Amino acid sequence: MAKRVLIVDDAIFMRNMIKDIFAGGGFEIVGEAANGLEAVERYRELTPDLTTMDIVMPFKSGIEATREIVKGDPKAVIVMCSALGQESLVMEAIEAGASDFIVKPFKAEDVLSVVKKVLGGA
Amino acid sequence: MALDISKYLGLFVSEAGEHLAQLGAELVRLEAAGRDGAAVSELVDGLFRHAHSVKGMSASMELDGIAALAHRAEDLVDPFRRRGVAPDAESVDVLLAAVDGLGALVARAAQGEKPEADRALLERVEAAAARARGEAAPEREAPAPPLAEPQSPGVAPPAPPPAAALHRRVEVEVEVAGACPVPAVRAFLVVKKLARLGQVVRTAPAEEDLRAGRLPGHRLTATLETPAPLGEVERALSQISDLARVAVAEAEARPAPAAPAAAPRLAAAPAAPAEGAERTVRVRVELLDSFLDAVGELILATSRLRALGRAVPEEHRPPLEDGVDRLHATVKDLHDKVMAVRMTPLSLLTERLPRAARDLARRLGKQVEVEVRGAEIEIDRALLDELADPLTHLLRNAVDHGLESPPERLRAGKGATGHVTVSARRERDRVLLELADDGRGMDPERLRAAAVAKGALPAAAAERLSDKDALQLACLPGLSTAAEVTDLSGRGVGLDAVKRSVEAVGGALEIDSARGRGTRFVLRLPLTVAVQQVLLVRVAEEVLALPIAKVHGAAEVALSALDQSRGAPVLPYDGALVPVLDLGALLGFGGARPAPCAVVVADGEAGPVGLAVDQLLGQQEAVLKPLARPFDRVPGLSAVTVLASGRPVFVLDLARLGAA
Repeated sequence: MAKRVLIVDDAIFMRNMIKDIFAGGGFEIVGEAANGLEAVERYRELTPDLTTMDIVMPFKSGIEATREIVKGDPKAVIVMCSALGQESLVMEAIEAGASDFIVKPFKAEDVLSVVKKVLGGA
Repeated sequence: MALDISKYLGLFVSEAGEHLAQLGAELVRLEAAGRDGAAVSELVDGLFRHAHSVKGMSASMELDGIAALAHRAEDLVDPFRRRGVAPDAESVDVLLAAVDGLGALVARAAQGEKPEADRALLERVEAAAARARGEAAPEREAPAPPLAEPQSPGVAPPAPPPAAALHRRVEVEVEVAGACPVPAVRAFLVVKKLARLGQVVRTAPAEEDLRAGRLPGHRLTATLETPAPLGEVERALSQISDLARVAVAEAEARPAPAAPAAAPRLAAAPAAPAEGAERTVRVRVELLDSFLDAVGELILATSRLRALGRAVPEEHRPPLEDGVDRLHATVKDLHDKVMAVRMTPLSLLTERLPRAARDLARRLGKQVEVEVRGAEIEIDRALLDELADPLTHLLRNAVDHGLESPPERLRAGKGATGHVTVSARRERDRVLLELADDGRGMDPERLRAAAVAKGALPAAAAERLSDKDALQLACLPGLSTAAEVTDLSGRGVGLDAVKRSVEAVGGALEIDSARGRGTRFVLRLPLTVAVQQVLLVRVAEEVLALPIAKVHGAAEVALSALDQSRGAPVLPYDGALVPVLDLGALLGFGGARPAPCAVVVADGEAGPVGLAVDQLLGQQEAVLKPLARPFDRVPGLSAVTVLASGRPVFVLDLARLGAA
């Protein structure tokens, strides 16, 4: 069964791009969220296998959302999507419980290899 | 093992000591819990853990004798742990003997020896363990399997701790792919991933460097202590991308609380706390003392600068004073921080008391239960050291003289078991340490009689003392009303010694007692000893300091106008008449005081006294320095401090001043 993915990013263009990458990799996109608040809600409804999380977002940052999600579900697999130059934020997200990270701009094959690894090397 | 383990000895001695102290304390608590029918399994688990830790630690230190004895102690606890019941009194006795034996061995190890355990003690513990196992067996349908570890007597090789409880030490080395744009973040993720499997005890580069984006050569090495098998560590790392190379290898086995792990952290800046746990280092007490000394010098230098500044022409003064103010604020902050580091919980002191009381009560055929409250309160480490003996003495005193024998208690309508409560509480900048028993109480009448008989004071004076003041007579040297001075609480140190030590640290001792209902000793202590508020006074040409804690107040009077009592003037103060002594005459300075002179009312040896001085110079924070020879032999002096002018000033020991 295809792995279920939740995509969180405040830019629609980014969400679409990420969706395409995942769809091409055989994943099922189960939902999207445009900010941290939505992300936490969506996660609770959908309990996806994987969540991609933008860091800088309105209302609630990706770091806070990650912290909340992981608190409710320690097994949550969350991959942070960050731009270069946000290293310290990424480290904060890792402390908050993120499983891995990808750095924008990213290539499709890199993204898929990261998430495949983080989901158990399949 | 090529590893130089000698550098961990200090750490080993202190940590093993802590485990043993807790082991002893928990044993005593267990006995009480067993009597009350309280749940014991957690306490028994604790016993096992402490014994186990000592075993593992000493084995790692190659102290086989200690490990062998700790191993036997662990064996003795084990059957009780499996059944979840408290050890019987006999086993507790044996375990306490083992704790004492271990303590002695650790003390010898501290001297650089590799001590062997006493053979008789080993056999005694082993026999008790065999008995405990024998009794344990029938209780389970599937009897507990005999202990997995070798049972050979004597100097058995230090058995490795059982695998289940063992934390494997894993060395991890990873290389981040050259193409990775943020290698340090990758490495950081590796560290965090490892932290989920156990405890990361070391990383190179340090976490701080990773946070700062530094990963020289794209290589990270880490040491992980984990119960997880190697495969699991490898699997976790395989989930991380961008790693060019991963090597995971098992280092030599270590017990879970491996002390040496703390050492490399010394180098790490405390800026970034590790996930969850507070990061700490251990520091030698002498080093802390030297910090405080240095800070004391800084305080003095600052006030000296301030005093010198007053001589500077007006127009140049503001920038100088501004600088001194800032220096003062920084030094004050530094002082507070150094003090905070020196603060130590009272439990370090009180932990031993239940055990000591129990041993003593057993010898005397009494029963006692000691309750400790407020042990989490922290005071200056230096004070703690000073208090150990007085507190132990008060406890012995309570058990030996205060508490009645069980039949006597029953006749008096009390429970057979006596209660001693040790409690501590903060009151503003003081700590009140109280030791109360529910024994027979003290008899003011007998104290008066004993004091008179000893010639310590005239019968009429004794009569005038209130009952509460009469209780203080117990603190006169050599005064004992105990029908017989036992070897237990006699020992040549009486309440006078207790009172002296308490006052030496700027504290005060109060006694409160009701016949038949018990006695209460209250130690009012400062939080710290090094800096005290003092009142400066001038007598003849001398400046002297009185500890503010002892001062009640001051009045300006003409001595000749005061009423006389037995040849000395008395000052009405706070509803009582206080004898006034001429401080100048007392110290042999001679010279008459000016006509209306200042009288400071302070705590003397037996109640308040007035001290006539020429002038009050004001209150000041003083950094106290202990007296060097020959001044430490002069009665009436307790310390020396240095004024802003650079002038040294003696701090008076008011209690002993009268006796001088």
